[in-house]
Amino acid sequence: MTKHLPLPPVPNPSSLTTFVSSESDPVTTTCATTSQVIHNLQYQHLWTSLKVHHLNLSFPVSLISGIPPHRVYTHPDEQLYMVEHGLREEDVELDRMFVLPTVQGQSWSLEKMAGVFDALPSPGDEDAESEAQSADDAATDGTTADKAAKLAKYYEYRVKARQTGEWGCKRLLLAMIDKGMGGEGTVVYYVAQEGTVKPRQN
Amino acid sequence: MNTTPELPVPISYIAGNYFVFSVDAATFLRREHNICGVLTGTLPQVPQQNVFTGLPLELMPEEARLLVEKGVACIVDEVNFQKQGMRSLVEEDRKKYLQELESQGLETMQLQMRRKERQRDASLKKIEEKKAAAKAKKAEAKEDTTADAPTVAEDSVVSLFADSGEPSSHISSRRPSTLGSIEPMGITPPVSHPPLPQQPPAKHLLPLPEVQSSYPLFAHLHSKGYFLCPGLRFGCQYLAYPGDPLRFHSHFLVVSTEWDEQLDLMTVISGGRLGTGVKKGFLIGGANKNVEESDGAGSNVRTFSIEWAGM
Repeated sequence: MTKHLPLPPVPNPSSLTTFVSSESDPVTTTCATTSQVIHNLQYQHLWTSLKVHHLNLSFPVSLISGIPPHRVYTHPDEQLYMVEHGLREEDVELDRMFVLPTVQGQSWSLEKMAGVFDALPSPGDEDAESEAQSADDAATDGTTADKAAKLAKYYEYRVKARQTGEWGCKRLLLAMIDKGMGGEGTVVYYVAQEGTVKPRQN
Repeated sequence: MNTTPELPVPISYIAGNYFVFSVDAATFLRREHNICGVLTGTLPQVPQQNVFTGLPLELMPEEARLLVEKGVACIVDEVNFQKQGMRSLVEEDRKKYLQELESQGLETMQLQMRRKERQRDASLKKIEEKKAAAKAKKAEAKEDTTADAPTVAEDSVVSLFADSGEPSSHISSRRPSTLGSIEPMGITPPVSHPPLPQQPPAKHLLPLPEVQSSYPLFAHLHSKGYFLCPGLRFGCQYLAYPGDPLRFHSHFLVVSTEWDEQLDLMTVISGGRLGTGVKKGFLIGGANKNVEESDGAGSNVRTFSIEWAGM
Protein backbone atom coordinates (compact mmCIF):
# COMPACT_ATOMS: atom_id res chain seq x y z
CA MET A 1 0.00 0.00 0.00
CA THR A 2 2.87 2.37 -0.52
CA LYS A 3 1.96 5.59 -2.09
CA HIS A 4 4.02 6.54 -5.10
CA LEU A 5 5.76 9.79 -4.43
CA PRO A 6 5.96 12.14 -7.35
CA LEU A 7 9.45 12.07 -8.94
CA PRO A 8 11.63 14.97 -7.94
CA PRO A 9 11.95 17.51 -10.70
CA VAL A 10 15.05 17.19 -12.92
CA PRO A 11 17.54 19.88 -11.86
CA ASN A 12 18.39 22.58 -14.32
CA PRO A 13 21.63 21.97 -16.23
CA SER A 14 24.61 23.81 -14.82
CA SER A 15 25.79 27.02 -16.37
CA LEU A 16 28.79 25.16 -17.77
CA THR A 17 26.62 22.50 -19.44
CA THR A 18 24.36 25.16 -20.89
CA PHE A 19 27.39 27.07 -22.10
CA VAL A 20 28.99 24.02 -23.71
CA SER A 21 25.82 22.89 -25.50
CA SER A 22 25.04 26.40 -26.69
CA GLU A 23 28.52 26.99 -28.07
CA SER A 24 28.64 24.35 -30.77
CA ASP A 25 26.33 22.12 -32.70
CA PRO A 26 26.90 19.19 -32.85
CA VAL A 27 28.92 18.91 -29.64
CA THR A 28 32.20 17.08 -30.32
CA THR A 29 34.83 16.17 -27.72
CA THR A 30 37.21 18.85 -28.91
CA CYS A 31 34.49 21.49 -28.97
CA ALA A 32 33.29 20.55 -25.50
CA THR A 33 36.82 20.77 -24.12
CA THR A 34 37.42 24.09 -25.80
CA SER A 35 34.13 25.47 -24.51
CA GLN A 36 34.82 24.35 -20.98
CA VAL A 37 38.22 26.06 -20.99
CA ILE A 38 36.70 29.21 -22.49
CA HIS A 39 34.04 29.19 -19.80
CA ASN A 40 36.71 28.87 -17.12
CA LEU A 41 38.86 31.62 -18.63
CA GLN A 42 35.92 33.97 -19.01
CA TYR A 43 34.21 33.52 -15.66
CA GLN A 44 36.95 32.40 -13.30
CA HIS A 45 40.00 34.18 -14.65
CA LEU A 46 38.12 37.13 -16.22
CA TRP A 47 39.81 36.99 -19.60
CA THR A 48 38.42 39.20 -22.31
CA SER A 49 37.97 39.11 -26.10
CA LEU A 50 38.23 35.33 -26.26
CA LYS A 51 38.47 33.80 -29.70
CA VAL A 52 38.64 30.23 -30.99
CA HIS A 53 41.09 29.35 -33.75
CA HIS A 54 40.61 26.11 -35.62
CA LEU A 55 43.89 24.58 -36.68
CA ASN A 56 44.27 22.45 -39.77
CA LEU A 57 46.42 19.68 -38.36
CA SER A 58 46.39 15.91 -38.72
CA PHE A 59 44.49 15.63 -35.42
CA PRO A 60 41.51 17.57 -34.06
CA VAL A 61 42.66 20.54 -32.00
CA SER A 62 41.66 24.14 -31.59
CA LEU A 63 43.37 27.05 -29.91
CA ILE A 64 41.85 29.78 -27.78
CA SER A 65 43.24 33.28 -27.61
CA GLY A 66 42.32 36.05 -25.25
CA ILE A 67 43.56 38.91 -23.13
CA PRO A 68 44.17 38.15 -19.45
CA PRO A 69 43.30 40.74 -16.77
CA HIS A 70 46.94 40.85 -15.69
CA ARG A 71 50.21 39.46 -16.95
CA VAL A 72 50.40 35.68 -16.85
CA TYR A 73 54.06 35.27 -17.77
CA THR A 74 57.09 37.56 -17.67
CA HIS A 75 60.44 36.27 -18.85
CA PRO A 76 63.10 36.71 -16.11
CA ASP A 77 65.28 38.89 -18.37
CA GLU A 78 62.29 40.99 -19.35
CA GLN A 79 61.48 41.43 -15.67
CA LEU A 80 65.05 42.53 -15.03
CA TYR A 81 64.83 45.05 -17.87
CA MET A 82 61.57 46.41 -16.49
CA VAL A 83 62.97 46.76 -12.98
CA GLU A 84 66.09 48.50 -14.30
CA HIS A 85 63.98 50.99 -16.24
CA GLY A 86 61.52 51.62 -13.44
CA LEU A 87 58.58 50.04 -15.23
CA ARG A 88 55.89 48.06 -13.49
CA GLU A 89 53.86 45.18 -14.84
CA GLU A 90 50.69 47.31 -14.77
CA ASP A 91 52.30 49.96 -16.97
CA VAL A 92 52.83 47.60 -19.84
CA GLU A 93 49.92 46.93 -22.13
CA LEU A 94 48.56 43.39 -22.00
CA ASP A 95 49.28 40.83 -24.67
CA ARG A 96 46.97 38.41 -26.35
CA MET A 97 47.82 34.90 -25.20
CA PHE A 98 47.14 31.56 -26.79
CA VAL A 99 45.65 28.69 -24.82
CA LEU A 100 45.72 25.06 -25.85
CA PRO A 101 42.81 23.09 -24.35
CA THR A 102 43.55 19.44 -23.55
CA VAL A 103 41.89 16.65 -21.63
CA GLN A 104 43.57 14.25 -19.26
CA GLY A 105 44.16 10.94 -21.01
CA GLN A 106 44.13 12.54 -24.46
CA SER A 107 46.54 10.99 -26.93
CA TRP A 108 49.51 13.33 -27.14
CA SER A 109 53.07 13.27 -28.44
CA LEU A 110 56.04 15.51 -29.06
CA GLU A 111 55.09 15.57 -32.73
CA LYS A 112 51.63 16.98 -31.95
CA MET A 113 53.12 19.54 -29.57
CA ALA A 114 55.52 20.67 -32.29
CA GLY A 115 52.62 20.82 -34.77
CA VAL A 116 50.65 23.18 -32.51
CA PHE A 117 53.70 25.39 -31.93
CA ASP A 118 54.41 25.56 -35.66
CA ALA A 119 50.85 26.76 -36.21
CA LEU A 120 51.32 29.69 -33.78
CA PRO A 121 52.13 33.05 -35.34
CA SER A 122 55.78 33.95 -34.78
CA PRO A 123 56.18 36.58 -32.05
CA GLY A 124 57.66 39.14 -34.44
CA ASP A 125 54.47 39.45 -36.52
CA GLU A 126 51.94 40.38 -33.88
CA ASP A 127 54.22 42.99 -32.36
CA ALA A 128 53.71 45.41 -35.23
CA GLU A 129 50.03 45.92 -34.42
CA SER A 130 50.34 45.83 -30.65
CA GLU A 131 53.05 48.44 -30.78
CA ALA A 132 50.89 50.85 -32.76
CA GLN A 133 48.11 50.31 -30.27
CA SER A 134 50.38 50.94 -27.32
CA ALA A 135 51.66 54.20 -28.82
CA ASP A 136 48.05 55.43 -28.94
CA ASP A 137 47.45 54.28 -25.38
CA ALA A 138 50.38 56.19 -24.06
CA ALA A 139 49.23 59.37 -25.78
CA THR A 140 45.60 59.15 -24.70
CA ASP A 141 46.22 57.99 -21.15
CA GLY A 142 47.86 61.27 -20.34
CA THR A 143 50.73 59.55 -18.54
CA THR A 144 53.76 61.64 -17.91
CA ALA A 145 56.06 62.16 -20.84
CA ASP A 146 58.85 60.45 -18.95
CA LYS A 147 56.97 57.23 -18.53
CA ALA A 148 55.74 57.31 -22.10
CA ALA A 149 59.31 57.60 -23.32
CA LYS A 150 60.37 54.70 -21.15
CA LEU A 151 57.49 52.59 -22.42
CA ALA A 152 58.26 53.42 -26.03
CA LYS A 153 61.85 52.35 -25.46
CA TYR A 154 60.65 49.17 -23.81
CA TYR A 155 58.33 48.29 -26.69
CA GLU A 156 61.10 48.98 -29.17
CA TYR A 157 63.47 46.72 -27.28
CA ARG A 158 60.77 44.08 -26.88
CA VAL A 159 60.34 43.73 -30.63
CA LYS A 160 64.06 43.11 -30.96
CA ALA A 161 64.21 40.76 -27.98
CA ARG A 162 61.31 38.72 -29.31
CA GLN A 163 62.87 38.37 -32.72
CA THR A 164 66.20 37.22 -31.29
CA GLY A 165 64.44 35.04 -28.73
CA GLU A 166 66.18 36.79 -25.85
CA TRP A 167 62.90 37.02 -23.95
CA GLY A 168 61.65 33.63 -25.07
CA CYS A 169 60.15 32.56 -28.37
CA LYS A 170 56.69 31.19 -29.01
CA ARG A 171 54.67 30.50 -25.91
CA LEU A 172 51.21 29.27 -25.04
CA LEU A 173 49.21 28.22 -22.03
CA LEU A 174 48.57 24.53 -21.78
CA ALA A 175 45.15 24.08 -20.18
CA MET A 176 44.14 20.66 -18.99
CA ILE A 177 40.76 19.45 -17.73
CA ASP A 178 39.70 16.16 -16.24
CA LYS A 179 36.51 14.60 -17.60
CA GLY A 180 36.77 11.41 -15.58
CA MET A 181 34.34 10.95 -12.64
CA GLY A 182 31.95 13.35 -14.34
CA GLY A 183 34.61 16.05 -14.24
CA GLU A 184 34.92 18.32 -11.24
CA GLY A 185 35.46 21.48 -13.20
CA THR A 186 39.12 22.10 -12.39
CA VAL A 187 41.25 23.54 -15.17
CA VAL A 188 45.03 23.65 -14.66
CA TYR A 189 47.26 25.97 -16.65
CA TYR A 190 50.92 25.54 -17.54
CA VAL A 191 53.13 27.87 -19.54
CA ALA A 192 54.73 25.95 -22.40
CA GLN A 193 57.47 27.59 -24.43
CA GLU A 194 59.51 26.58 -27.39
CA GLY A 195 63.21 25.96 -26.79
CA THR A 196 65.25 26.18 -23.60
CA VAL A 197 63.78 29.12 -21.69
CA LYS A 198 65.23 29.59 -18.23
CA PRO A 199 62.80 29.32 -15.35
CA ARG A 200 61.32 32.29 -13.55
CA GLN A 201 62.63 33.07 -10.08
CA ASN A 202 59.46 32.64 -8.14
CA MET B 1 97.18 24.17 -12.38
CA ASN B 2 95.51 24.18 -15.81
CA THR B 3 97.26 21.13 -17.17
CA THR B 4 96.09 19.69 -20.43
CA PRO B 5 96.40 15.92 -20.66
CA GLU B 6 97.64 14.19 -23.76
CA LEU B 7 94.73 13.82 -26.19
CA PRO B 8 92.73 11.72 -26.78
CA VAL B 9 91.96 11.04 -23.11
CA PRO B 10 91.60 7.30 -22.49
CA ILE B 11 88.21 6.35 -21.03
CA SER B 12 88.34 2.92 -19.41
CA TYR B 13 85.47 0.59 -20.23
CA ILE B 14 85.12 -1.78 -17.29
CA ALA B 15 82.16 -4.11 -16.74
CA GLY B 16 79.79 -1.99 -18.81
CA ASN B 17 80.79 1.33 -17.22
CA TYR B 18 82.96 4.19 -18.38
CA PHE B 19 85.64 5.53 -16.05
CA VAL B 20 88.32 8.22 -16.07
CA PHE B 21 91.18 7.51 -13.69
CA SER B 22 93.49 10.46 -14.21
CA VAL B 23 92.88 13.60 -12.20
CA ASP B 24 94.28 15.76 -15.00
CA ALA B 25 91.86 14.26 -17.48
CA ALA B 26 88.89 14.60 -15.11
CA THR B 27 89.54 18.29 -14.42
CA PHE B 28 90.28 18.95 -18.08
CA LEU B 29 86.99 17.40 -19.22
CA ARG B 30 85.05 19.42 -16.69
CA ARG B 31 86.86 22.68 -17.43
CA GLU B 32 87.05 22.55 -21.21
CA HIS B 33 84.23 20.26 -22.27
CA ASN B 34 81.49 20.77 -19.66
CA ILE B 35 81.54 17.10 -18.72
CA CYS B 36 81.11 16.45 -15.00
CA GLY B 37 80.52 12.73 -14.61
CA VAL B 38 80.11 11.32 -11.14
CA LEU B 39 82.98 10.67 -8.73
CA THR B 40 82.68 7.09 -7.53
CA GLY B 41 85.89 6.23 -5.71
CA THR B 42 86.01 5.48 -1.99
CA LEU B 43 88.98 4.77 0.25
CA PRO B 44 90.10 1.12 0.34
CA GLN B 45 90.19 1.27 4.15
CA VAL B 46 86.75 2.87 4.52
CA PRO B 47 84.66 1.58 1.63
CA GLN B 48 81.40 2.26 3.51
CA GLN B 49 81.76 6.01 3.58
CA ASN B 50 80.21 7.29 0.39
CA VAL B 51 79.67 10.94 1.24
CA PHE B 52 83.00 12.17 -0.03
CA THR B 53 83.96 10.24 -3.11
CA GLY B 54 87.01 10.65 -5.30
CA LEU B 55 88.49 9.21 -8.44
CA PRO B 56 87.65 7.33 -10.60
CA LEU B 57 85.13 9.49 -12.38
CA GLU B 58 82.28 7.54 -13.88
CA LEU B 59 80.80 8.87 -17.10
CA MET B 60 77.35 8.27 -18.52
CA PRO B 61 77.47 6.43 -21.88
CA GLU B 62 76.14 9.66 -23.46
CA GLU B 63 79.07 11.64 -22.05
CA ALA B 64 81.58 9.05 -23.22
CA ARG B 65 80.09 8.98 -26.70
CA LEU B 66 79.99 12.75 -26.98
CA LEU B 67 83.67 12.98 -26.06
CA VAL B 68 84.63 10.31 -28.55
CA GLU B 69 82.61 12.00 -31.29
CA LYS B 70 84.38 15.26 -30.51
CA GLY B 71 87.72 13.44 -30.82
CA VAL B 72 88.68 14.34 -27.25
CA ALA B 73 88.63 10.82 -25.87
CA CYS B 74 88.87 7.18 -26.84
CA ILE B 75 87.33 4.11 -25.25
CA VAL B 76 89.81 1.54 -23.96
CA ASP B 77 89.02 -2.08 -23.22
CA GLU B 78 90.78 -1.74 -19.88
CA VAL B 79 90.68 -5.37 -18.72
CA ASN B 80 92.45 -6.75 -21.78
CA PHE B 81 94.79 -3.81 -21.97
CA GLN B 82 95.90 -4.30 -18.36
CA LYS B 83 96.23 -8.08 -18.64
CA GLN B 84 98.23 -8.12 -21.84
CA GLY B 85 100.19 -5.03 -20.98
CA MET B 86 101.34 -6.41 -17.63
CA ARG B 87 102.20 -9.77 -19.15
CA SER B 88 104.41 -8.20 -21.73
CA LEU B 89 106.40 -6.25 -19.12
CA VAL B 90 110.04 -7.43 -18.85
CA GLU B 91 111.56 -8.19 -15.44
CA GLU B 92 113.95 -5.29 -15.84
CA ASP B 93 111.09 -2.86 -16.53
CA ARG B 94 109.35 -4.12 -13.43
CA LYS B 95 112.39 -3.51 -11.21
CA LYS B 96 112.96 -0.10 -12.68
CA TYR B 97 109.33 0.83 -12.05
CA LEU B 98 109.45 -0.36 -8.43
CA GLN B 99 112.65 1.59 -7.83
CA GLU B 100 111.08 4.66 -9.29
CA LEU B 101 108.10 4.29 -6.97
CA GLU B 102 110.43 3.94 -3.98
CA SER B 103 112.44 7.00 -4.84
CA GLN B 104 109.20 8.92 -5.31
CA GLY B 105 108.04 7.75 -1.90
CA LEU B 106 111.31 8.82 -0.34
CA GLU B 107 111.13 12.23 -1.89
CA THR B 108 107.57 12.73 -0.69
CA MET B 109 108.52 11.65 2.83
CA GLN B 110 111.44 14.08 2.89
CA LEU B 111 109.25 16.88 1.74
CA GLN B 112 106.75 16.10 4.43
CA MET B 113 109.45 15.99 7.16
CA ARG B 114 110.87 19.29 6.06
CA ARG B 115 107.48 20.91 6.11
CA LYS B 116 106.75 19.56 9.57
CA GLU B 117 110.01 20.92 10.89
CA ARG B 118 109.42 24.29 9.38
CA GLN B 119 106.03 24.39 11.04
CA ARG B 120 107.52 23.40 14.38
CA ASP B 121 110.20 26.06 14.14
CA ALA B 122 107.64 28.68 13.30
CA SER B 123 105.40 27.78 16.21
CA LEU B 124 108.35 27.70 18.62
CA LYS B 125 109.42 31.11 17.46
CA LYS B 126 105.92 32.41 18.01
CA ILE B 127 105.86 31.07 21.56
CA GLU B 128 109.17 32.68 22.31
CA GLU B 129 108.05 35.98 20.95
CA LYS B 130 104.90 35.81 23.00
CA LYS B 131 106.87 35.04 26.14
CA ALA B 132 109.29 37.86 25.50
CA ALA B 133 106.43 40.26 24.95
CA ALA B 134 104.74 39.15 28.14
CA LYS B 135 107.99 39.52 30.06
CA ALA B 136 108.61 42.98 28.69
CA LYS B 137 105.14 44.01 29.70
CA LYS B 138 105.55 42.57 33.17
CA ALA B 139 108.90 44.24 33.62
CA GLU B 140 107.44 47.54 32.54
CA ALA B 141 104.57 47.14 34.94
CA LYS B 142 106.98 46.27 37.76
CA GLU B 143 109.15 49.26 37.02
CA ASP B 144 106.10 51.47 37.23
CA THR B 145 104.63 50.11 40.45
CA THR B 146 107.42 48.58 42.54
CA ALA B 147 110.64 50.38 41.82
CA ASP B 148 112.30 48.91 44.95
CA ALA B 149 112.60 45.27 43.81
CA PRO B 150 114.08 45.25 40.31
CA THR B 151 116.77 42.61 40.93
CA VAL B 152 114.37 39.75 41.67
CA ALA B 153 112.41 40.41 38.50
CA GLU B 154 115.48 40.49 36.34
CA ASP B 155 116.65 37.19 37.78
CA SER B 156 113.44 35.44 36.84
CA VAL B 157 113.62 36.91 33.36
CA VAL B 158 117.07 35.51 32.84
CA SER B 159 116.16 32.06 34.08
CA LEU B 160 113.04 31.96 31.94
CA PHE B 161 114.94 32.86 28.81
CA ALA B 162 117.50 30.20 29.54
CA ASP B 163 114.72 27.61 29.89
CA SER B 164 112.98 28.43 26.68
CA GLY B 165 116.16 28.88 24.74
CA GLU B 166 117.47 25.43 25.46
CA PRO B 167 114.89 23.17 23.75
CA SER B 168 115.16 24.92 20.40
CA SER B 169 118.90 24.36 20.22
CA HIS B 170 118.30 20.78 21.27
CA ILE B 171 115.96 20.21 18.33
CA SER B 172 118.26 21.70 15.77
CA SER B 173 121.06 19.38 16.87
CA ARG B 174 118.74 16.38 16.42
CA ARG B 175 117.64 17.36 12.94
CA PRO B 176 120.13 15.51 10.71
CA SER B 177 119.60 12.19 12.47
CA THR B 178 115.84 12.22 11.84
CA LEU B 179 116.26 12.99 8.16
CA GLY B 180 118.72 10.18 7.62
CA SER B 181 116.57 7.20 8.55
CA ILE B 182 113.20 7.90 6.99
CA GLU B 183 111.06 5.19 5.55
CA PRO B 184 109.79 5.78 2.01
CA MET B 185 106.07 6.47 1.86
CA GLY B 186 104.01 3.74 0.22
CA ILE B 187 102.73 5.18 -3.03
CA THR B 188 99.65 3.84 -4.81
CA PRO B 189 99.66 5.30 -8.31
CA PRO B 190 96.16 6.14 -9.55
CA VAL B 191 97.01 5.46 -13.19
CA SER B 192 98.80 2.53 -14.80
CA HIS B 193 101.21 4.46 -16.99
CA PRO B 194 104.35 4.69 -16.80
CA PRO B 195 104.55 0.88 -16.79
CA LEU B 196 101.95 0.75 -19.54
CA PRO B 197 102.00 3.19 -22.45
CA GLN B 198 99.95 6.40 -22.05
CA GLN B 199 98.11 5.82 -25.32
CA PRO B 200 96.92 2.21 -25.59
CA PRO B 201 97.56 0.38 -28.85
CA ALA B 202 94.75 0.45 -31.40
CA LYS B 203 93.81 -3.18 -30.82
CA HIS B 204 92.50 -2.32 -27.34
CA LEU B 205 90.34 0.55 -28.52
CA LEU B 206 86.56 0.07 -28.61
CA PRO B 207 83.97 1.53 -31.01
CA LEU B 208 81.50 4.31 -30.07
CA PRO B 209 79.55 3.60 -26.87
CA GLU B 210 75.95 2.48 -27.27
CA VAL B 211 73.50 5.07 -26.04
CA GLN B 212 69.77 5.46 -25.43
CA SER B 213 67.42 7.26 -27.78
CA SER B 214 67.81 10.36 -25.60
CA TYR B 215 71.30 10.97 -26.96
CA PRO B 216 70.29 13.59 -29.59
CA LEU B 217 68.63 15.68 -26.86
CA PHE B 218 71.72 15.26 -24.67
CA ALA B 219 74.03 16.38 -27.47
CA HIS B 220 71.73 19.29 -28.33
CA LEU B 221 71.67 20.64 -24.77
CA HIS B 222 75.41 20.08 -24.36
CA SER B 223 76.09 22.03 -27.54
CA LYS B 224 74.14 24.94 -26.04
CA GLY B 225 76.60 25.03 -23.14
CA TYR B 226 74.56 23.20 -20.52
CA PHE B 227 76.24 20.86 -18.04
CA LEU B 228 74.19 17.68 -17.81
CA CYS B 229 74.07 15.41 -14.80
CA PRO B 230 72.01 12.30 -14.07
CA GLY B 231 68.54 13.35 -12.95
CA LEU B 232 67.59 10.64 -10.48
CA ARG B 233 67.33 13.00 -7.54
CA PHE B 234 64.59 15.02 -9.23
CA GLY B 235 62.89 12.12 -10.95
CA CYS B 236 63.93 13.03 -14.47
CA GLN B 237 66.45 11.92 -17.03
CA TYR B 238 69.02 14.72 -16.87
CA LEU B 239 69.52 17.87 -14.84
CA ALA B 240 70.67 20.77 -17.02
CA TYR B 241 72.90 23.36 -15.35
CA PRO B 242 73.67 26.66 -17.10
CA GLY B 243 77.29 26.48 -15.84
CA ASP B 244 79.43 24.41 -13.53
CA PRO B 245 77.10 22.66 -11.05
CA LEU B 246 79.30 23.91 -8.20
CA ARG B 247 78.43 27.49 -9.11
CA PHE B 248 74.88 27.32 -10.45
CA HIS B 249 71.49 25.88 -9.62
CA SER B 250 70.11 23.76 -12.39
CA HIS B 251 67.64 25.29 -14.83
CA PHE B 252 65.83 22.27 -16.17
CA LEU B 253 64.56 18.83 -15.35
CA VAL B 254 65.04 17.16 -18.71
CA VAL B 255 62.96 14.29 -20.02
CA SER B 256 63.47 12.89 -23.47
CA THR B 257 60.75 11.29 -25.56
CA GLU B 258 60.53 9.78 -28.99
CA TRP B 259 59.06 11.97 -31.73
CA ASP B 260 55.83 9.96 -32.12
CA GLU B 261 55.82 8.20 -28.75
CA GLN B 262 52.47 8.25 -26.94
CA LEU B 263 52.86 10.82 -24.20
CA ASP B 264 50.65 10.92 -21.14
CA LEU B 265 49.76 14.55 -20.58
CA MET B 266 49.90 13.84 -16.86
CA THR B 267 53.70 13.45 -17.25
CA VAL B 268 53.87 17.00 -18.54
CA ILE B 269 51.69 18.29 -15.71
CA SER B 270 53.51 16.43 -12.93
CA GLY B 271 56.89 17.39 -14.39
CA GLY B 272 55.87 21.01 -14.69
CA ARG B 273 54.53 21.04 -11.18
CA LEU B 274 57.61 19.37 -9.69
CA GLY B 275 59.93 21.69 -11.64
CA THR B 276 58.15 24.80 -10.45
CA GLY B 277 58.24 23.46 -6.89
CA VAL B 278 62.04 23.31 -6.98
CA LYS B 279 62.48 26.56 -8.97
CA LYS B 280 63.35 24.82 -12.21
CA GLY B 281 61.69 24.40 -15.55
CA PHE B 282 60.53 21.10 -16.97
CA LEU B 283 62.07 20.47 -20.36
CA ILE B 284 60.69 17.85 -22.69
CA GLY B 285 62.27 17.18 -26.03
CA GLY B 286 63.40 14.76 -28.66
CA ALA B 287 64.73 14.44 -32.16
CA ASN B 288 62.44 14.77 -35.16
CA LYS B 289 63.06 11.57 -37.06
CA ASN B 290 61.58 13.01 -40.26
CA VAL B 291 64.25 15.70 -40.46
CA GLU B 292 67.83 14.88 -41.30
CA GLU B 293 70.42 16.03 -38.79
CA SER B 294 72.50 18.63 -40.57
CA ASP B 295 75.36 19.74 -38.34
CA GLY B 296 75.68 16.91 -35.86
CA ALA B 297 74.88 18.59 -32.55
CA GLY B 298 71.21 17.61 -32.47
CA SER B 299 69.95 20.29 -34.86
CA ASN B 300 66.75 18.31 -35.48
CA VAL B 301 65.86 18.34 -31.78
CA ARG B 302 62.77 20.21 -30.61
CA THR B 303 62.50 21.18 -26.95
CA PHE B 304 59.69 22.69 -24.91
CA SER B 305 60.04 24.26 -21.47
CA ILE B 306 57.08 23.98 -19.17
CA GLU B 307 56.30 25.91 -15.99
CA TRP B 308 53.26 26.21 -13.81
CA ALA B 309 51.25 29.26 -14.82
CA GLY B 310 50.19 30.08 -11.27
CA MET B 311 46.48 30.45 -12.08
